Amino acid sequence: MKTAINKTMPSSAEGMSRVDGRLKVTGAAKYSAEYTPKGLTYGVLAGSTITKGNIIAIDTKAAERAPGVLAVITHLNAPKVPGDQPEKGKAADAKGALKVFYDDKIYYNGQPVAIVVADTFERALFAASLVKAQYKTEKHITSLPDNRDKGFPPRGEGTYKRGTEDAWKLAPFKVEQEYIVPTVTHNPMELHAIIANWDTDNKLTVWDKTQGVKDTQGDLAHLFKLPKENVQVHSQFVGGAFGSALRTWPHEVAAILAAKVVKRPVKVVLSRADMFTSVGYRPFTWQKIGIGATADGKLTGITHEAAGQTSSYENFTEGPTGVSQSLYACPNVNTKYHLVALDIATPTWMRGPGEATGAFALESALDELSYQLKLDPVELRLRNYAQTDPGSGKPFSSKFLNEAYQLGSDHIGWKDRKQEPGTVKQNGWYVGYGMGGGMFGAYRAGATIRAKFNADGTLLLQSAVSDIGPGTGTAMVLIAAEQLGIPAEKIRFELGDSSLPNAPTQGGSATTASVGSAVYKACADLKEKFQKLAGNGATNNPDYTKILKDSGLPSLEVVSETDGGNGMQKYAMNSWSVHFVKVLVNAATGVVKIDKVACVSDCGKVISPKTARSQVIGGAIGGLGMALMEESIIDHRYGRYINNNFADYHVPVNADIPQIDALFVNKPDPIINPMGAKGMAEIALIGMAAAVANAVYNASGKRVRDLPITPDKVMA
Amino acid sequence: MENKEAYPANDAAQDVKDSSRRNFIKQSTLLTAVALTPGTAIKAAADHIDEQIAAVFEKMPLKMQVNGKTQNLSVEPRATLLDILREQLDLTGTKKGCDHGQCGACTVHVDGHRINSCLTLGVMMNGRKITTIEGLANGNQLHPMQEAFIKHDGFQCGYCTPGQIMSAVACIREGHANSEHEIREYMSGNICRCGAYPNIVNAIQEVKDGGMAV
Amino acid sequence: MKQFQYVRPATLKAALDVIGKPGVKVIAGGTNLIDLMKRGVTAPDKLVDINHLGLVDHQSLKDITETKTGLYLGSLALNSVVSENNMVAKRHPLLAMALKAGASPQLRNMATVGGNMMQRTRCGYFYDTTMPCNKRVPGTGCGAMEGINRMHAIFGASQQCIAVHPSDMCVALAALDATVHIAGKKGERKLPFTQFHRLPGEHPDLDNNLAKDELIVGIEIPDNNFAQNSYYLKIRDRQSYAFALVSVAAALEIENGIIKNARLAMGGVAHKPWRLFDAEKALTGKQPTEENFAQAATLAMQGAIGHGGNSFKLKLAPATITEALKHAAGLV
Repeated sequence: MKTAINKTMPSSAEGMSRVDGRLKVTGAAKYSAEYTPKGLTYGVLAGSTITKGNIIAIDTKAAERAPGVLAVITHLNAPKVPGDQPEKGKAADAKGALKVFYDDKIYYNGQPVAIVVADTFERALFAASLVKAQYKTEKHITSLPDNRDKGFPPRGEGTYKRGTEDAWKLAPFKVEQEYIVPTVTHNPMELHAIIANWDTDNKLTVWDKTQGVKDTQGDLAHLFKLPKENVQVHSQFVGGAFGSALRTWPHEVAAILAAKVVKRPVKVVLSRADMFTSVGYRPFTWQKIGIGATADGKLTGITHEAAGQTSSYENFTEGPTGVSQSLYACPNVNTKYHLVALDIATPTWMRGPGEATGAFALESALDELSYQLKLDPVELRLRNYAQTDPGSGKPFSSKFLNEAYQLGSDHIGWKDRKQEPGTVKQNGWYVGYGMGGGMFGAYRAGATIRAKFNADGTLLLQSAVSDIGPGTGTAMVLIAAEQLGIPAEKIRFELGDSSLPNAPTQGGSATTASVGSAVYKACADLKEKFQKLAGNGATNNPDYTKILKDSGLPSLEVVSETDGGNGMQKYAMNSWSVHFVKVLVNAATGVVKIDKVACVSDCGKVISPKTARSQVIGGAIGGLGMALMEESIIDHRYGRYINNNFADYHVPVNADIPQIDALFVNKPDPIINPMGAKGMAEIALIGMAAAVANAVYNASGKRVRDLPITPDKVMA
Repeated sequence: MENKEAYPANDAAQDVKDSSRRNFIKQSTLLTAVALTPGTAIKAAADHIDEQIAAVFEKMPLKMQVNGKTQNLSVEPRATLLDILREQLDLTGTKKGCDHGQCGACTVHVDGHRINSCLTLGVMMNGRKITTIEGLANGNQLHPMQEAFIKHDGFQCGYCTPGQIMSAVACIREGHANSEHEIREYMSGNICRCGAYPNIVNAIQEVKDGGMAV
Repeated sequence: MKQFQYVRPATLKAALDVIGKPGVKVIAGGTNLIDLMKRGVTAPDKLVDINHLGLVDHQSLKDITETKTGLYLGSLALNSVVSENNMVAKRHPLLAMALKAGASPQLRNMATVGGNMMQRTRCGYFYDTTMPCNKRVPGTGCGAMEGINRMHAIFGASQQCIAVHPSDMCVALAALDATVHIAGKKGERKLPFTQFHRLPGEHPDLDNNLAKDELIVGIEIPDNNFAQNSYYLKIRDRQSYAFALVSVAAALEIENGIIKNARLAMGGVAHKPWRLFDAEKALTGKQPTEENFAQAATLAMQGAIGHGGNSFKLKLAPATITEALKHAAGLV
């Protein structure tokens, strides 16, 4: 089979290259801000400089008079967004998405208070700086640790119990610790951007950075009370997102309003500083774990508490305690999850949402327990290996995590690890090994593919799906090539256009499973049509072009739809990962260097080895950033981020990252879909932060429980 | 990096010229100025006449070569090379990732040297030769670095890629691609949030080891 | 960014005629100035591009030349050019190391020697025009003093300002006893490098002792015997492309197993490159051992004050001094 990898660790050159690679290396790939509709204008947002209160006056005169300015829009003169208005006879919802330019209320620092539209970017940017708002300020709160007592359970979730509560306390070996994951910001390289244009009074076109053109289309249709088909969303190339483009944000609505006012296309590109306040982030989360085991390392109980921050106007809920419920066989588990509403913008899902946060706490705590037990951390995990889902009791659709442990141990050289911390030194650096794992639900949603086979032997596949970077088009082409037995070069996959057939938003590691299933079915449907055309005696690999020619047809088309499958009714379906890290620690200066990394994914069958490998490496690096350097810092006196730029918010650079071994168990899941492929995006990151923290402890004896693990926290 | 011809020997005259132009505007009657000014500026100029009208005049000529083609432009001094490339010349291959010299997505070559175009004023590029990602390939034939990035999957989303490739080419030309360690250090001015670093290093090493002309 | 006039004088005299007036800023590489202009921290009416200045005393401001007593770097020499220069590499590897530890290859291709010296602090409060900052707007207060000050000064701060100077190059030049050549309308003057930058005191708005109507034209580094035993160690939150938490420039002249001469300066700890004269003295005549280095490091920390977020530097700084000296002495 073409798509199969015959070894667990492909090299960077193996497998088919990306179908859109040439466009990306030549600069020809066009991202949302790079279209030039006629009459294009530039919109720049002015943000609130207070954190909570009301606008009492807003002076826009200077901005309006500045050269080139076409409009200055504030809550005082903005056209109404129909979808933001309360339904007749009904009170407005108490909570909901931020309504831009809706009224004078300020919910967070940096909230848009005006948009200035001008004929050039420079003029719009300067004029935006001339907008001066006066405020009545109220006392704000932005710190979760200072306000944890204000926590409340999210609706319908929050607590979980199996067996006896707090059973860990009775165990002979136990750990109780608190862990902090700070606010971490997605910060994709592409700044969020939109170009909005009203083709007519009730027809809207946007080129928009989004992970789901259909969702964006639906949101905008709802907000502006338009028929869906009157909203056209383009998002052919997305310069990374990691969750930040999973929903519609205020700047998108602002651009659309501005386009309405100036009656020309308006382009809005967020600044890097805006990226910290305008498009979500991984919420600051406090966690406490109590975990106990018998002398032979059998877990007897886990208690996992978490408090995550949200905004004052929306309850953002994720599942940080989920890993404690399902990762290990443990008879007694109770978890509690609270939200703390702060005067900040709403967080959103970020790669491995909830699980990445929870896994840092659980996998760190388990590591701490292993030292108490004087038991190898891998062995501790094997002794508590869950053969069926501990929460639901359902069988797993597939789980080869034990093989992943073995693969990773072998590759990192785990046998060289010493159980006693701070005992191995090389060239003045302490050497340590750590591991941590994770899991994420293997989801699948309905999708539709239009497939058209042409007389020249080419195949066109169409789907509204977005590709934020994993290489969706490449994987889909590979699935079709294999199913139809035609060369990949003959296949084209069109995406990122809301007029194309339905696809789920790219998120939750579900794209290949969902859209891939539809591609698979479309190919089967096509084949069946061809076989019918050819009549009896058709082989399993018919000569498609000949059949078309013989039938006098220019092409053959199918539109095939698949649903989300019903595997979840009977099975617990997850992808699994384990990360192994070797670190070097300078005890005197606290500097941590990542020396070696091995990441093993148990994510079913690998469809596209080259892009799969890149996705795992990318997730690992995201995890290394979370572990070592990422933190969005607010000065709580002002409620403003103090490091909202790429010089002070550190993400890994090339010098931080060694070669990373991306390994795959590569055994198909028999349930999830006909390809046997499960998601890998989230698990590539989940567990990595703990692996690093555990390695740092093994190297230096320093246990860091509040991320990131910066030199000041590690030094002696 | 010098292009002597582009810089008149005594350019101090420009200063005098600029000042006197501003003085001219200040002294001229409203009527004269208005006659020279597009409608929006007239409207906007209501009571800030000097600033408004000056803005119209305060574009400067800029002559630079971009990807082998001479561009004669008129730009505001505050326009950065990055914004001129993207917004005026529609060369959107050069990316804006931070706009503050903190990510490298805007990397281009000026007279063969890699720089951040977001921190470069267009007017300072007068007489210079700019190469962007669009000018790297030889017609349909990709530059070896572009081929290597495709082969080793040196990207995911592709947004930092043009900057990475421009930097990678310079990295070899500068003689800073002699080891994996050195490549990693000298490619650290280009952030890749998707995390393609190991693949980028592999691509550069292949081009370097292949001894191909870059 | 506000609109401004852009002028491009071709001679030093023409440049000196324009600068010094209110609202005028000098631009060379622009890597910091344009950043500051984009953030609205500074909004000049006129930008004087000095990249095309001609000769001063028959030397181009971009040249790196030998003098009778040392090495002369023109103020417009690029950071990348200086860091790769053979004479610099051979005579002052400390300077080359420091330069390569700063910024990124792209920025080093733009930034000049003089511009590097003139770069302003990276304090977040200085950059955010909605926050108080005595350096940006005197009298508004210091946001960092009671705020987020993890990157801030432990030496020489005042109640007005605890910002640090962000340069790596300057730390090496301070250690190497360089001299700054400054041109003004009345002619040229020289200033020891260690006296170029200033402490914040009551005037944190002033970073250095260069008058508004003066230009840096060059740096002279006297010959020395440190090339064999020098090291620049920069501790930061990631391995490259980050400002220093603490950095140390260490240079030793070792003869027959005894330290004959020592130079030490630190970055990331003060409003200026922080020269460690007492520690240097203490090392002189001693053997290059870890114990002696640690003792000197302890001595160097006298007078250091932590402000909460940056208090870890009270431990990190001496550890970094010791590590840097070990590297310089070849003990690592």
